Amino acid sequence: MHKNLKTKFCKLPLNSPIILLSGCVGFGEEYTRIDGFSNAEVGAICLKGTTLEPRLGNMPHRVIETPSGMINAIGLQNPGVDAVIDNILPALDKTETRFIINISGSLVADYGEIARRFDNSDIDAIEINISCPNVEEGGAAFGNDPDMSYRVVEACRQNTSKPLITKLSPNQTDIGLCAQRCIDAGTDGLAVINTLTGMAIDTNTRKPIIGNNQGGLSGPAIKPIALLKVHQVYQVSKKHQVPIIGQGGITTVDDALEFIIAGAAAVGIGTALFYDPLICGKINAGISQYLLDNDLNNIDELIGTLQLNNSTSLC
Amino acid sequence: MNKGSIQVIDCQILAHDQFAGRQHILTLESAQIAKATKPGQFVHVSVSNMLLMRRPISVMSVDIQNNSFDLLYKVVGQGTQQLSERKIGEVLSVLGPIGNGFTITDKKSPLLIGGGVGMPPIIAAAQQIKNSVYNPFVILGSEVPFPFTSKLSKIPTPHIKENFTMPLLEDWGIACRLASLQNYMGVFKGYVSDLARVYLDGLSADELLQVEVYACGPKPMLAAVAQLAKSYQLPCQVSLEEYMACAVGGCAGCVVAVQVDNRPTMQRVCVDGPVFDATTVF
Ligand SMILES: Cc1cc2nc3c(=O)[nH]c(=O)nc-3n(C[C@H](O)[C@H](O)[C@H](O)COP(=O)(O)OP(=O)(O)OC[C@H]3O[C@@H](n4cnc5c(N)ncnc54)[C@H](O)[C@@H]3O)c2cc1C
Ligand SMILES: Cc1cc2nc3c(=O)[nH]c(=O)nc-3n(C[C@H](O)[C@H](O)[C@H](O)COP(=O)(O)O)c2cc1C
Ligand code: FES
Repeated sequence: MHKNLKTKFCKLPLNSPIILLSGCVGFGEEYTRIDGFSNAEVGAICLKGTTLEPRLGNMPHRVIETPSGMINAIGLQNPGVDAVIDNILPALDKTETRFIINISGSLVADYGEIARRFDNSDIDAIEINISCPNVEEGGAAFGNDPDMSYRVVEACRQNTSKPLITKLSPNQTDIGLCAQRCIDAGTDGLAVINTLTGMAIDTNTRKPIIGNNQGGLSGPAIKPIALLKVHQVYQVSKKHQVPIIGQGGITTVDDALEFIIAGAAAVGIGTALFYDPLICGKINAGISQYLLDNDLNNIDELIGTLQLNNSTSLC
Repeated sequence: MNKGSIQVIDCQILAHDQFAGRQHILTLESAQIAKATKPGQFVHVSVSNMLLMRRPISVMSVDIQNNSFDLLYKVVGQGTQQLSERKIGEVLSVLGPIGNGFTITDKKSPLLIGGGVGMPPIIAAAQQIKNSVYNPFVILGSEVPFPFTSKLSKIPTPHIKENFTMPLLEDWGIACRLASLQNYMGVFKGYVSDLARVYLDGLSADELLQVEVYACGPKPMLAAVAQLAKSYQLPCQVSLEEYMACAVGGCAGCVVAVQVDNRPTMQRVCVDGPVFDATTVF
């Protein structure tokens, strides 16, 4: 592993700034089926979204390719928090990388309870997925409302001393305000962004292709949006030294560098793995070479170094 | 988990032939895939630079001497269209081999049924058991012209009067008959399940005890075959399809509803399948 890639995120030492994203790599071991893939190449792995009770998830189709990306609606298929703690976590090889659990709920209290249960496990950190529908408040996503986001993070904070990373939704008006509220509630890190909501229609049947009708758009199609959101969140989070996992469509070395320059302390890879399962080694090598070429000792020296243009208009 | 079982390989196109009904046979070079693939497994193919997501396609046959394997696919949309435009000498990125293919059991008279582009895994299964103690019977069905020039078979099949077959299977010494609703010469007119019934009705009770059904094709065909197998009390394995993203078990995108211990579960076609026990899905 390239020495200059070693970094820290929420005080956790990482081998590399690359973090594999929740929902793309199952419960951490699935990609080891690929010859040449190693979990040791990434700084951390976010495991599949976990809920209080087991969930079977949505009916098919759950995934569909769209221009430069894909829509998914998996429906948080998972065996439930207890099965994850009892059966899955003990089997993970923790010498290779760090593991972050990703948690979801439909009530504020669910989030608090799941965080409490993971607090007693050997998971390295907890990522809060606040993009779930809030059952109590009529089904709108928690994450689209800064005050609801605050309450979810607060409930988790009260129940765990593990590092908390809050994953922000791009489907809201002022992501900076939401980031501020999550920081106020005690989050240690932020993940920016989750998928954008989208739809695809089969013109023969005139039905949505996705069983759930709509789903989350990921992949290169969302990268420019994600990059701007990271920049916006960084304006808020840097004052509090709250680090960001930049994500959304990263598929090349340059994509990863752009996110770091915009303010990300780590970069998430999800959909790109589906195209190229061996992409992490390539991105590691590319970032490492860029640091050398630019006389930078580590990625800390690159984070948030964006030089904005003087945006005075001409007329 | 089979660690390291799936290779990421750049495969050169050695041959690419077009047949009627927008069907194509693609020969790709890879010693590793030719050696490692079991019947019913598939590969996940990058079709072009324009489409990022890969397309899952079953391995139809392998040629260990030639370090190559064949795919049979039908153009149904953008991805398969772009694949059909790729030329000999070009290179495709392939993940494979993937999945739990057919488990060839000790029942000595396998009944292998393939419909449409469900033919490849059936042909792969036939390839594995050719020249062995097995006495297989293959039924292939198609509503567009078959992706081969069918010919008169010299292998007798009592009770079935139509006698055209697939030349490759004939060369392997395997009995095969064809079915279609179209009027094709030498081809049984009806569904594959109708022809299967004619075949099974010609067997004695003892012979039936040696039959296991292996099937791949469109869902309604599989449902009919599963029903038929049930009525003859025959074990039956079916190979399923579902839209995929990763094809390595990571995204849970490709699930189908499967009964396990009489409870519903959602299982991944890519790594838990694509082959399932028919009684758990139909
Ligand atoms: C395990 C497995 C083995 C297969 N083996 C073969 C084979 O040997 N020969 C063959 O011709 N076809 C096979 N298929 C089906 C083949 O994958 C699809 O026909 C192909 O993906 C269609 O892509 P497209 O872009 O041309 O079609 P579009 O309809 O434009 O595809 C849109 C999206 O839906 C997906 N999709 C559409 N139909 C299917 C389908 N039936 N199965 C899975 N995904 C689908 C595509 O991958 C793509 O992401 C197999 C599928 C699976 C799951
Ligand atoms: C198939 C799939 C499943 C996902 N499941 C989850 C999930 O369970 N929890 C979550 O917080 N994000 C989930 N995501 C979102 C990703 O973690 C990531 O934030 C998003 O896809 C953007 O990154 P990408 O473009 O690199 O994939 C999922 C994404 C995909 C493609
Ligand atoms: S396609 Fe991702 S789990 Fe099967």
